[in-house]
Amino acid sequence: MPRERDPLVVGRVVGDVLDPFLRSITLRVTYNNREVANGCEFRPSQLVSQPRVDIGGDDLRTFYTLVMVDPDAPSPSNPNLREYLHWLVTDIPATTGANFGQEIVCYESPRPTAGIHRFVFVLFRQLGRQTVYAPGWRQNFNTRDFAELYNLGLPVAAVYFNCQREGGSGGRRS
Amino acid sequence: MDEVWKDLSLSSLHHHSISTINNATANTHHAFRSTLLQDFLARPSNMDPLRTGTSTADPSSAGAATPFASPLPPPPTLLSLNSLPDFHCIDDTDPMKPHSHFHNNATAATPYMYPPFNVLAAASPAFPSFRKKRPRGSDDNSGDRRHKRLIKNRESAARSRARKQAYTNELELEVAHLIEENARLKRLQQKFCPEASAQLPKKHTLYRTSTAPF
Repeated sequence: MPRERDPLVVGRVVGDVLDPFLRSITLRVTYNNREVANGCEFRPSQLVSQPRVDIGGDDLRTFYTLVMVDPDAPSPSNPNLREYLHWLVTDIPATTGANFGQEIVCYESPRPTAGIHRFVFVLFRQLGRQTVYAPGWRQNFNTRDFAELYNLGLPVAAVYFNCQREGGSGGRRS
Repeated sequence: MDEVWKDLSLSSLHHHSISTINNATANTHHAFRSTLLQDFLARPSNMDPLRTGTSTADPSSAGAATPFASPLPPPPTLLSLNSLPDFHCIDDTDPMKPHSHFHNNATAATPYMYPPFNVLAAASPAFPSFRKKRPRGSDDNSGDRRHKRLIKNRESAARSRARKQAYTNELELEVAHLIEENARLKRLQQKFCPEASAQLPKKHTLYRTSTAPF
């Protein structure tokens, strides 16, 4: 059996949050000039303000939805609030960024208390401009259900990073 | 000790069923946690987790679409007093093999052995083999606690390995991209500026140059 290489699968993002999909649109998330690469680690202090999100595609008339969730809330060993919704932006035109879209749920800065959490950005293609209703609360959001509810289909891009509390000492010992 | 469990679990179970009702946006098969809880309590006799052994392939790394092949999802192992009994699939684990002891792959996370106790209490005639061993005595409590800690530690270790592996894979992908881009750019430079590409920087020390002309 060939060894799985995709970081999204190895990191269990595909599985816990998403179904397997093919990337078709570029998604670049940047916090303070540091680009998010799968599995890299950020400290909460670096995540205070919302990141810059640039998406690819080619047709300005195609719109995308961006979801940011924490599947490991409140703790990866007991994620009973999975997934915690941190940000939801819709109607982002292709080739632009998140600030061109409609912020349905405003950005909440990650502040994990226990364990090392994954934070996932998911991009969906919309069928057209559409009205998306904010969920009543951020916890126990379900990205799959959300995509089904608004007919978003499979994701077109995703990226994730790890984060633990500011003074945390888990993770890679360099 | 059992009454404590029952009290807690019943109240938090009640809590949970309320919250699942509130939370139901689109109650598809993916929200199996809520449906399963209700199903579980409604028809304990129909749910036979003993049949998990047949249908489950190893779901771990292929990211296959059906990690939830068995009717009973791997319940959470955390039996601490402050957590809701919840059927969230914490990890894409191997579904429980009823008669195996902590079947453990090097890479896959371990299965959970213990269904939440409230469920056990409610549906115990249906799952006789889930009672791990004998009825609990005081020394068994510490054995259980050790067991729980063992499972938790295993999962944590598996997550840690997954994290490390994912990071490494990402780095390797990036390295491959960068090498490719570098080669491409060198080729371009070669094509458009052949004499410049032949010239390597001669000195790496500081030296005077002229600045922008005015």
